Amino acid sequence: MTTIIGLDPTSGPFDRTDDHVFPPRPASLDGAVVALVANGLGEGELFLDALYDEMAKLSSLQAPLKVVKGSVSIPPDPQDWRRLTEEATVAVTGFGG
Amino acid sequence: MTTAARHAYESHDALLDDYFERGWTDGLPIVAPTPEKVGAFLEHAGLAGHEVLGAVPTREVTCTAEQAAANAVMAGCRPEYFPVVAAAVRAHLHPKGNSHSTTGTLSGAAQAVIVNGPIRNELEVASQAGCFGPGFRANATIGRALRLVIRNVCRAIPGFLDRASFSTPARYSFCFGENEEASDWVPLHVQRGLAPEQSAVTVHSLMKMVEATDFISRTAEGVCDTLAREIRFNGIAGDSWLGEDGNVVIVIGHEHHRFFRAQGWSKVDVQQYLWSRITAPATSATDRMARIGRPEGILVVAAGGAGMAASWLLLPHLALAITEPVASPPRLGK
Repeated sequence: MTTIIGLDPTSGPFDRTDDHVFPPRPASLDGAVVALVANGLGEGELFLDALYDEMAKLSSLQAPLKVVKGSVSIPPDPQDWRRLTEEATVAVTGFGG
Repeated sequence: MTTAARHAYESHDALLDDYFERGWTDGLPIVAPTPEKVGAFLEHAGLAGHEVLGAVPTREVTCTAEQAAANAVMAGCRPEYFPVVAAAVRAHLHPKGNSHSTTGTLSGAAQAVIVNGPIRNELEVASQAGCFGPGFRANATIGRALRLVIRNVCRAIPGFLDRASFSTPARYSFCFGENEEASDWVPLHVQRGLAPEQSAVTVHSLMKMVEATDFISRTAEGVCDTLAREIRFNGIAGDSWLGEDGNVVIVIGHEHHRFFRAQGWSKVDVQQYLWSRITAPATSATDRMARIGRPEGILVVAAGGAGMAASWLLLPHLALAITEPVASPPRLGK
């Protein structure tokens, strides 16, 4: 019987969530700094503001940390990443416009 | 010598079924990427399997020549096509090619591969009648190879990192040549700084493609006015990250091209005439200013066959059109 060998054409498994260890989600958002990361498209910023208002009804939040990306086509600037990782408890973002 | 994981099958059908099951195809059958075939592709291009062609940093992936070769085999390429595929992969993975955005976008952007230079005729890359469509092995498989790399290496899987709402048939394959013989127009790759005898590919990520028909005009100005009107109607938004360097590709069809020839218009003439018109201030929601920073950002390409008074606008997604030379296969001595 003929055996055909085929090579794996990928750069690795598609689902690599095991590569990353996510911190546990906080049990409560009381006292949390919620980051709102807007992509700059459409009315995404308004949407995130409205979402924050709803979240603030459920928890005692600190002032939000708002980041509006300088470009819709690439990740946030390094200084914004730094603010997010150093100052925010949790972050909310989205895609689309 | 190939280093990728190997999978053994008792038949070609079994291989096909498993590759479909693993999500390694575009839904169409593929050619088995055997170590021998992949090795032959690498040899033909003079590339080592571990050589890195590019990366998508946000996805933490790099694309090696071996991975690109495996996908080129799967796409149905011939070994001599692989230098073109490798150049296309390099172009797409250029930082300003913006693979992450152009392959993940809701808009379902596609990648056009435009081939210039001597290799275009050597490989019989179609540039005239029917060149956007099926029937030409080089066009079909080179374009497909890039898309399989985007899927399998860059992880642009529908519903995963590819978030397209509809996507587009152009994502199966979109490759054509410039009809450099149509006139004395300077070929695209030469306009972009390469020598005429250098083969090259330009990869342009397009948000959408619009046919600009004009059966009425009999002058270069008239055709350009139609092109400008269509561009302004559809809009080109631009982006702060791309700055002034944004591109739009305009494929001038045969029946329109003859008016430019008759009036002695060069590509530079077309670029200058169009640029001032597409960048004029908006007058309404359907007459918008195009965010193209310079006349040279308008990439004019001659292609297509006779009969239809039409040209095509390849309107950009959030990336620059990147031109890469096609490396000469060393063992062919070219």
